[in-house]
Amino acid sequence: MSVLTPVRLGPAEQTLIAQLQSAGAAAQAERLSGSGLPTRRVESYHYTDLKQLLRSVPPLAGAAPGASAPALEIAGAYRLMIANGRVQDAGTAPAGVIVGRSEGSVLTMRDDVLVRLNAALAGESLSLTLEGSVDPVIQIDRRSEGEAAHSAGSVRIFVADGASATIVETYSGSDAAHVSNHASYISLGKGARLSHIAVDLSSGQATHFATHEYQLAEDAKLHTLAIHAGASLARTQIFARFAGEGSHADFSGLNLVKDGQHLDITLDVNHAVPNTTSQERFKQIARGRSRAVFQGRLVVARHAQKTDAKMMMQGLMLSDEAEILSKPELEIYADDVVCGHGSTCGQIDETSLFYLMSRGIPRAEAETMLVRAFLEELVDPIEDAELNEALTAVIDGWLLGR
Amino acid sequence: MSALDIPTLKENIDLETVEKVRALDVDKYKYGFETTIESDRAPKGLSEDTVRFISAKKGEPEWMLEWRLDAFRRWLTLDEPTWARVHYPQIDFQDMYYYAAPKSTSGPKSLDEVDPELLATYEKLGIPLREQEILAGVEGASANVAVDAVFDSVSVVTTFREELAKVGIIFCSISEAVREYPDLVRQYLGSVVPVSDNFYATLNSAVFTDGSFVYIPKGVRCPMELSTYFRINERNTGQFERTLIIAEEGSYVSYLEGCTAPMRDENQLHAAVVELVALDDAEIKYSTVQNWYPGDKDGKGGIYNFVTKRGDCRGHNSKISWTQVETGSAITWKYPSCILRGDNSRGEFYSIAISNGHQQVDSGTKMIHLGKNTSSRIIAKGIAAGFSDNTYRGQVSAHAKAKNARNFTQCDSLLIGDTCGAHTVPYIESRNASAHFEHEATTSKISDDQMFYCMQRGLSEEEAVALIVNGFVRDVLQQLPMEFMVETQKLISISLEGSVG
Repeated sequence: MSVLTPVRLGPAEQTLIAQLQSAGAAAQAERLSGSGLPTRRVESYHYTDLKQLLRSVPPLAGAAPGASAPALEIAGAYRLMIANGRVQDAGTAPAGVIVGRSEGSVLTMRDDVLVRLNAALAGESLSLTLEGSVDPVIQIDRRSEGEAAHSAGSVRIFVADGASATIVETYSGSDAAHVSNHASYISLGKGARLSHIAVDLSSGQATHFATHEYQLAEDAKLHTLAIHAGASLARTQIFARFAGEGSHADFSGLNLVKDGQHLDITLDVNHAVPNTTSQERFKQIARGRSRAVFQGRLVVARHAQKTDAKMMMQGLMLSDEAEILSKPELEIYADDVVCGHGSTCGQIDETSLFYLMSRGIPRAEAETMLVRAFLEELVDPIEDAELNEALTAVIDGWLLGR
Repeated sequence: MSALDIPTLKENIDLETVEKVRALDVDKYKYGFETTIESDRAPKGLSEDTVRFISAKKGEPEWMLEWRLDAFRRWLTLDEPTWARVHYPQIDFQDMYYYAAPKSTSGPKSLDEVDPELLATYEKLGIPLREQEILAGVEGASANVAVDAVFDSVSVVTTFREELAKVGIIFCSISEAVREYPDLVRQYLGSVVPVSDNFYATLNSAVFTDGSFVYIPKGVRCPMELSTYFRINERNTGQFERTLIIAEEGSYVSYLEGCTAPMRDENQLHAAVVELVALDDAEIKYSTVQNWYPGDKDGKGGIYNFVTKRGDCRGHNSKISWTQVETGSAITWKYPSCILRGDNSRGEFYSIAISNGHQQVDSGTKMIHLGKNTSSRIIAKGIAAGFSDNTYRGQVSAHAKAKNARNFTQCDSLLIGDTCGAHTVPYIESRNASAHFEHEATTSKISDDQMFYCMQRGLSEEEAVALIVNGFVRDVLQQLPMEFMVETQKLISISLEGSVG
């Protein structure tokens, strides 16, 4: 049997190890030097080989040198900013929103390399407590400004029992090869309602990592939408746990992939208690030489009877050089459940195209119509008209860039 | 106490199913007898000497020994794979025998030379070795089955050889083929599953002992089903069989495989490699009923079944179809795959995997689309009971040149009781825009809509279930050849209520 050879460390790993050491996280530095960044042999990174994809890491971010204009303007929203991992002063919070900040990141038990890096390197975290019915959309504007930098920031959100809110996180910044590692830890109290939308609009040179962790108490209702439309390398990890009976969540996501990009959405949903339901709807659309990845896993625990979960992944390929890779997993330990997943992948349906063209619509326009129809399903459920419009604009921006 | 104690039985699974699953219970393994035959074994453990010993025993030419030694050296550099959802204690590869042969059977020329104990064994297994009996029983050659029986490490007897030879078909043990048809073996052995493909395939390449060899010449439609029965009898032995099937241009063959083993406390290792090659317009149909000893009700003993099966649709318009019924083994790690290399080639995978007691199944397929207009179809039904875990793991990929590749996958799982698990892990990889993939997986009971439709038309609940299930099972069972289908129904004799929807 072969003896375990020590892992060969690349420049990105060496920088990360040095940064962990300078942040006083000796144990994490040692762990990373032992294992290196995950390769495709690590199941949860099967299609996103970080060792290969993350070639270099810029120096740790300093204070932001002033901010550029917001990448996504949502009329009437209450805006909070985190620039280069540091929470910026905000104006008066609307009724029901309590804003706080604390040193360091938020504790989490999840064993994942991006989570561990975030936990060790985030200098400060923003905490939000939401009570009652919060009216305006809350925008958390997360920036990477100035010269190329590696930043880590974290946000903790608690939606109190019976409260309801809409939160939009946007990620953007200066046009440089930033590496940003964002974490959001979100807990929903009994009967709470939350719509959580995350849109990556980073520069085309940037690398974007985001981890969203959700915990749902009894009768909580969650809606999420993650859109990748910026960084050249992006991975959003969604970890959700149903901890109270009667809770429900709709998870959705969209990879808008263009030439040279590698975008990954990885989802892990744990139905830990009986009588919970979830629906997962993810779409990927790819053109040029690019790669779109979706990994989704539904876990139904031994006693989580009466779980109803349906996961759907649809891929649309606009180029022969694109790759759409998907891994929708089911892991089921309870017998009285209704669980399923579906996955499809193909190009624009010729019959539909023919139908539109036979009615006098030029080919290019017909294609755009069909693609828009394909994507609309994800934005439709968003009730706030301003927000809906802003997101539609993001999608249109990608479409017209073709 | 039975391993299948169902505290929270679902109302829509009728009692009959439960009884049948119970009948399948691990402590009632009916093939668990042991035959006492003196046998000839290689010294315990694995080294180059073991490999040389096996090669010498088989009277192999030099090139074959070199091939084995090369595999052995590569194996030393490989690590055991850990990605499958199966758990077992570390296997000590030195604490095992790699060769065991019944003493009296060094190359029997006819059945009369075969140890009567052995024949009695096969009789107990219900395997018809005596050609005369079959001939007496069935008029017309179409219903005949030619059998190659492998006992521990050697092929004991192959029937119907003369009749097959008349149309130019070669059906013999792989050891014989190495000696008598070296050119064919050298050309194709390891061409589908490369020597260092994976840990167990490499181990097999070094120490494989026997298996079947089939060669169907150009334009020949094999007049009968070809069949192999494998049995592990000796204690502490691993069985490493190697099967190679070559279908020349325009030919057709249907091949069946069955396996059993005695009941033992310790775990036995079975690491086979099966290679299929289909040239232009050829078709190979490969069916397996795997019924190795699954271990007792506490999960003690049973076979570790680590198998690499792969078919290469090398020619245009070729077709390879895998059908498997997996009911045995403590651990199953098996992914019969198709490489769709030729344009317009087609791959199929039909599977029923039933796990009970403490069995662990991690099985599925790979459909690798390389040629233009290739298509594949995957139908997998998993049923988990007792304390077992049943995983479907499958890969479908279309490469950039696989224009118009098509795949349809359907995986359905049924759990009986709340102490087992059913999992689905598909890998879907599309690398060109004209590829069209559809994947569907469910874990549930029969859909209420279907039940409502049937019952609204006057059927009772049970009749409705029976009707729906009948249609559902047919998908996979119908893929089995006639003779095997009856046997299989007897073997699994379980209805699949609840797996649809």
